[in-house]
Amino acid sequence: MSKNPIISVRNLSKHYQIYQKPPGLMGSLKSLWHREYKTVKAVENISFTIQPGEVVGFIGQNGAGKTTTLKVLSGLLYPTAGEVSVLGFNPWDRKNEFQKQFALVMGQKNQLWWDLPAMETFLLNQAIYEIPDKQFKKTLDHLTELLSVKEFVNVQVRKLSLGQRMKCELIAALLHNPKVLFLDEPTIGLDVVMQKTLREFIKDYNKEFGATIILTSHYMGDVKELCQRAIVIDRGQIVFDGGLQQIIDKFAQNKILSFSFSRQVKKSELSKFGRIKELNQDGSAFTATLLVPRDQAGKVAGAILSQLPVQDLNIEEPPIEAIIRDLFNQQNKSHE
Amino acid sequence: MNKYLRTVQLSWQEGLVYRTNLIMWRVRQILGSLMSLSLWTVLFSKNSQLFGYSQDQMITYVFIVALLQSVILATALHGISGYIYRGQLARELLKPIKLFTYFASLDLADKLKNLFFVLVESVFLYLIFQPVLSLPNPIFGLIFLIWVVAGTIINFLITLLFGAIGFWSPDAWGPKFLFFMIVDFTAGKLFPLDILPKIVQQLIYLTPFPYLSYAQTQLFLGKMSNAEILTGSLGLIFWIFILYMLTTRIWRRGTKNYEAIGN
Repeated sequence: MSKNPIISVRNLSKHYQIYQKPPGLMGSLKSLWHREYKTVKAVENISFTIQPGEVVGFIGQNGAGKTTTLKVLSGLLYPTAGEVSVLGFNPWDRKNEFQKQFALVMGQKNQLWWDLPAMETFLLNQAIYEIPDKQFKKTLDHLTELLSVKEFVNVQVRKLSLGQRMKCELIAALLHNPKVLFLDEPTIGLDVVMQKTLREFIKDYNKEFGATIILTSHYMGDVKELCQRAIVIDRGQIVFDGGLQQIIDKFAQNKILSFSFSRQVKKSELSKFGRIKELNQDGSAFTATLLVPRDQAGKVAGAILSQLPVQDLNIEEPPIEAIIRDLFNQQNKSHE
Repeated sequence: MNKYLRTVQLSWQEGLVYRTNLIMWRVRQILGSLMSLSLWTVLFSKNSQLFGYSQDQMITYVFIVALLQSVILATALHGISGYIYRGQLARELLKPIKLFTYFASLDLADKLKNLFFVLVESVFLYLIFQPVLSLPNPIFGLIFLIWVVAGTIINFLITLLFGAIGFWSPDAWGPKFLFFMIVDFTAGKLFPLDILPKIVQQLIYLTPFPYLSYAQTQLFLGKMSNAEILTGSLGLIFWIFILYMLTTRIWRRGTKNYEAIGN
């Protein structure tokens, strides 16, 4: 790893004051003269660094602190404590030179002028980011082609579908070729095909411009396909930071053994080898899936092979979605 | 093209998208002036002088107030507190723009649009009523223009000041409604303030509101002594200074406090 991270976060905390209203009308009346505030620790003492060109996924449940972190990195939120540096700037200073080099795209918010065609917002952004005509035209042509939206850019934004609008949002955010890109739920609400198109596009953009990208998403698919590295956040704290394979190594307790047999196998014959996930008969096909502790997977597979009429065998890691889900479930239980 | 000029241009384009809306809004404005002009014409049919105003002066007053309303008081930023509260200000905060200049461009676009329509409509009203307008001499005319710009700045700052409520509270309608009422009354939108008792006038002059139209009309009609013009000018400078300090400070605190909604 090089020694000059493009993003560095040290001991960052962000707390909010939230006013709590007692339920009902009486509660509302009471709150007119007396309010109780509660401090919510959205992010608590987190640290990480990101190198130029990395694509990092933020994974976490709703309210885990992902978006808060992105907002602090963009200079929208003032940190309660800690130090943040992006492209060598303190984001909160909101310097022009900083803002010209990064972009934040939020899936649920938009910057396009609603009643005008997207092209008008593009032209406004050209002026705002002071993009020379030639570069603007080149980037615009390139982006509209990559996302195949050429025919929509002159249609009123409010008449576009969600997918078309999201593509135009991305273009508006990328016209100035940001070196750092924060994507907050970029594929939210999009259909599977559109999700794939956007993922492909983000991948290409990272390759072509060497941009550093942080992405938050509910869809593991986004993270799996785009990110070499994931930061898992839970209740404002980082519970994991590393490669996706490392998540599997660290948190997956079991391997999945799938068999097909030449005859029907009884439950009792199988259960001594591990936890049965599935046992099916479909015509003449008898299949079963077992969960076995990782370090015993080879031994158990050998034993089954020698004792049962196995036709086919497959040993797999559990899908990363399941690992993350288990991880969050464990965390939730330990906080209950 | 300059970023703020482009903003002005876009804002114009957006304003022209909904034609019916545009027409209805202008009809409302023109009806207001028509009613005022008819009322005063009737009142002056029996009297040559009312509340110290001749008929020509009163008709000029109505014309000038309509003009000043569209330049000084009209603003594109009424919804700004809601805009802030809903977290939409984030899109401006992320861009390399000066926030106040950006808002000023939106406001300028709106005022230019208003001014254009008001001038067209005034010609129309002029042809109907054929009033004899009392015009100021060129020096007063120039001071008048400067006062209009100054009044516009005061209204801009007050609007941003009220808008800043959105940083802390969702419901800015209470204070905003109160503000509209006060302005209608104290800026001389409904009637010239010198109809009121002296003591009330003096109290009103302790606020920035008479500088949002009334003071300018008095200057235009030649109803001000040189000393009054001087105090008026100082008053304008004073309020711009105070409001600028207050507004920039509150906005700085507001943006620091900004939580831009979401999780």
